[in-house]
Amino acid sequence: MANAWQPDFEQLVEEHQSMVFSLALRMTGDRGLAEEVAQDAFLELDKNLRNIESPEHALFWLRCVTMSRATDALRRRRVRGMDLWVEIEERHGLPTENAGAGSRLGSKLEALLTTLPEAQRAAILLRYQEELTPEEIAKALDAPLATVKSHLQRGLKLLRAKAESHLKEFVRGG
Amino acid sequence: MDGFEKELSESLTRRPAPPGLKGRILAERARRAAAKQNDRHVMWMRLAASVAIAAVLAGAAGWQWQRVEERRRGEEARQQVMTALGITAKALDKVQKRLQANDGKEE
Repeated sequence: MANAWQPDFEQLVEEHQSMVFSLALRMTGDRGLAEEVAQDAFLELDKNLRNIESPEHALFWLRCVTMSRATDALRRRRVRGMDLWVEIEERHGLPTENAGAGSRLGSKLEALLTTLPEAQRAAILLRYQEELTPEEIAKALDAPLATVKSHLQRGLKLLRAKAESHLKEFVRGG
Repeated sequence: MDGFEKELSESLTRRPAPPGLKGRILAERARRAAAKQNDRHVMWMRLAASVAIAAVLAGAAGWQWQRVEERRRGEEARQQVMTALGITAKALDKVQKRLQANDGKEE
């Protein structure tokens, strides 16, 4: 029963729009740009629907295309993560309100993530948002496994350092 | 996975897509499909127009070639008639000269 699965575009959009949008938003730090990236990724999927063999393939394909489109969009716009992210948080009221110290740290981490270099950000996003293994990340980003592992380690170290520094400020600020 | 990674993992849960994103994607898809259909229609129209123009040009060229060929054949036939008339005139000349010569001997 080869290729018995029939892709339904609308259903694929429904199922994966949150994943695609979240990846795009966290990569670009810009809500509008993230929507554009998500739209592009799905329209690209529509063009290539004939080549999609299974739901897993569709998910893998969407992750790859979203990351690649988000990187392209970032390069075009040369967005500076943190400043823009803070601006977005203020403008769109993303979930920083009604939060305790834990969730505040969480949203701070999310914001700090956008200050990491693109490659490290991509690896960390796929690892901690999508819960992929380093091998799967290497496949999705079309990068050597050693490079991905290095990006993960360095990114995590940098993020930890930034978080510690921000947490100290937060505690000092009371 | 240590506490920090757990915190990171929790902070990176998927966010809901903005309302209307799906609708915009489907609308853009429909718009592109219509544009593609239109492009295909225009392409076929252009192709049909090109074929019609090519046919008209070929017909005109054929008709022109036929006219030139007919004129060439007519000219050739006229030349042949002129040659035949020339030969006949010479032959008649000879006959007349012989008759005149015979008439002179009889006198």
